[in-house]
Amino acid sequence: MAAKPGAATPTYSPKLVGRTRLPIFKDSDLDWSRPDGRGFHQCRPALLQTGAVSSASGSAYAEFGNTKVIVSVFGPRESKKAMVFSDVGRLNCNVSYTTFASPTLGQGTDHKEYSSMLHKALEGVIIMETFPKTTVDVFALVLESGGSDLSVVISCASLALADAGIMMYDLITAVSVSCIGKSLMIDPVTEEEGCEDGSFMMTCMPSRYEITQLTVTGEWTTPNINEAMQLCLDACSKLGEIMRDLLKQAASASEE
Amino acid sequence: MVGLSLGEQHFVKGGIAQDLRTDGRKRLTYRPIYVETGVIPQANGSARVKIGGTDVIASVKAEIGRPSSLQPDKGKVAVFIDCSPTAEPTFGGRGGEELSSELALALQRCLLGGKSGAGAGINLSSLLIKEGKVCWDLYIDGLVISSDGNLLDALGAAIKAALTNTAIPKVNVSAEVADDEQPEIDISDEEYLQFDTSSVPVIVTLTKVGTHYIVDATAEEESQMSSAVSISVNRAGHICGLTKRGGSGLDPSVILDMISVAKHVTENLMSKLDSEISAAEAADDES
Amino acid sequence: MGLQDSSQDLSTEMEVDAFRRIFPLRFFERHLSESLRPDGRQLGKARDTIVNLGLVSTADGSALAKIGSTTMLAAIRMEVMTPSTDSPDEGCIALEFHMPPICSPTVRPGRPADAAPVISKRLSDTILSSGMIDLKELCLVSGKAAWMGYLDIYCLDADGALFDAALLSAVAAFSNLQIPVVALNDNGRIVAITGGKDQDNASITEKEAVNKEKRKLTLKNIPFSLTCILHKTYILADPTTEEESIMDTLVTVVLDSSDQMVSFYKSGGTALAYSPAIKSCVELARKRAKEVKQILGEMDID
Repeated sequence: MAAKPGAATPTYSPKLVGRTRLPIFKDSDLDWSRPDGRGFHQCRPALLQTGAVSSASGSAYAEFGNTKVIVSVFGPRESKKAMVFSDVGRLNCNVSYTTFASPTLGQGTDHKEYSSMLHKALEGVIIMETFPKTTVDVFALVLESGGSDLSVVISCASLALADAGIMMYDLITAVSVSCIGKSLMIDPVTEEEGCEDGSFMMTCMPSRYEITQLTVTGEWTTPNINEAMQLCLDACSKLGEIMRDLLKQAASASEE
Repeated sequence: MVGLSLGEQHFVKGGIAQDLRTDGRKRLTYRPIYVETGVIPQANGSARVKIGGTDVIASVKAEIGRPSSLQPDKGKVAVFIDCSPTAEPTFGGRGGEELSSELALALQRCLLGGKSGAGAGINLSSLLIKEGKVCWDLYIDGLVISSDGNLLDALGAAIKAALTNTAIPKVNVSAEVADDEQPEIDISDEEYLQFDTSSVPVIVTLTKVGTHYIVDATAEEESQMSSAVSISVNRAGHICGLTKRGGSGLDPSVILDMISVAKHVTENLMSKLDSEISAAEAADDES
Repeated sequence: MGLQDSSQDLSTEMEVDAFRRIFPLRFFERHLSESLRPDGRQLGKARDTIVNLGLVSTADGSALAKIGSTTMLAAIRMEVMTPSTDSPDEGCIALEFHMPPICSPTVRPGRPADAAPVISKRLSDTILSSGMIDLKELCLVSGKAAWMGYLDIYCLDADGALFDAALLSAVAAFSNLQIPVVALNDNGRIVAITGGKDQDNASITEKEAVNKEKRKLTLKNIPFSLTCILHKTYILADPTTEEESIMDTLVTVVLDSSDQMVSFYKSGGTALAYSPAIKSCVELARKRAKEVKQILGEMDID
């Protein structure tokens, strides 16, 4: 019996029959609760931890509900041979998923879109001048995808960078908001993301009160954007405080 | 890339600060827009848009496909952008890849709306032929021929024009077939359906140079930017997508301000573009 | 030997860290002569081992194994396949070992690690040849449908003894595996049943259910492995990455629950394995198997 069946063997996962995805709630119905029983403006409890990977210069693990992410930072280390001289540092980002990250997605692959979004979110915060000629690698692995993956990856990456001792202007935090019907929901889970009318993701530097990355999809009115931005800014600054405390604790623990 | 001397940099920045840019425009004035439709006869729809020195072509190709199992009631749309090396030498080889995928992603975000389909420029349900079995797959290809800044806005306008120009053949589905078989289809070569493009948004990119922001930046001006925000707005004045580029951070109030300015700019741009497109369509029909 | 002599002189003056970096081999040999390793372990002692079950909610069975810093996450997803005509009543296990870029500074995205396919092959050989899983148990309808178990093992942190940790996580994931409840529908396809909540599923009559309740696989002959480094006359159990990079002769012994040898693997290297060395490796592996069995036993009670 061969361990690896020939690639020709087709398999399928036993799906539920004849079930269509029902909308979680209807426009007029405001009494519903979110799948995990949270309030509209309530984030999932965040579990953050630094130093998850011993062989990396810095690393962090983040768990927001079912979304579980590990980010490792390597470097600053020698740039690839083919790279030309640069008097500022380089940043290299990669986001990949495990094969079992989500029940529907079959293959675990590199996520090019998220890799470049992560790069864009981080490049403005890292003080590249502090590591000329070298490269800092930020690699993320999404162990389990439970919604708002990118924002968890970005927040986790900034913790890992801090853990690695890379100079930054500020910690960065990212928060997503989904718009379903008339209501805005912060930190959406996969089910909510699946039926959202619009999504809003913002990364910001909470202490400097600056937005480094912002993406909006779907149809939004100006008041909605205002509200979503306020929600995100508020959540970002709270998350930033949690991350700061965590880093302080980790630093004082290592001193002892 | 544009290399500017220190003096030139000051000139560009100083001009923007005084609301008089190097080519004589004000901060919120677009360059003249030129639209030509039906430039590629074998595509279902195509258009060429020139904004100053920026020249792009968009084509729409429709193919019969199968809806995805996750969304059996919707057709599929894919956006590809290619940055030709003729536009800029650095686009040769894999050089333009990153920019291409970034542009494609931003366009997809603007055109397709949320997961539920709200705010979509293209109504995916209208592409369905038979639920779960047959649908139209739209392949939207953008080609950048010459680049002088503001690529995203130009591509957005070109896609809007190409979609207006698109005619999709009428399809007749043969009668009942068994559950797991593909139905036979008959593509008519006489009757065509026009695409409703009234909800396709236009994209306005606000580029921040110094403390001011400008629309329709040239490559020269883009080289001096600190960050840029691309906002797509539909006819109802709702925002359908927003992407930020450039590393440096922005104050939240500035972003909100940019959004309101973008909305104001779009109103003019939308009507300008509409008249250009209809003029181009008329010219195309005559020829 | 001039270099070694000079290092001898320097060792009194240099800082420990600098000495460790510049003369790693001398550094280790100094420790070994005292029968102690830099991390304070005795030569034959393995690092602390932790196993956690069921961490991945999207998988049918999962486990996290940690030996020292080396961390492995294994998850199994069950899918349905049509068995081959050669063995119509057997299921299949497809195993893949991944080393994502996060786990080690040597792995870069886009270029898979050299070690990953080697370990992948050795793991699947070991698991199948140990007879831990009866593939017949994975059969649903003879000749029509059988389970295909996709076992993916991700290395989250690579710090030596990757094979041992990966095997441990794989075994633990199998012990955690719950085979889903399924039924055969009219079209001959296997469909899932959720606890009867869904009205659509009412159409499936009870007698059609192929797999009536969630069940576990019976695991027999569980394989346990121990990797040792041979260096001169020393045998170091459960090496770290640093030790593996300095001393390159690795021996892996795999024993099953009744102490029978499943596989023995020596990957070349400068040191030769004489029979007394092999015997002591096996002896160490036997001890280690007992330890690991205890750790897994504690898990199974939960």
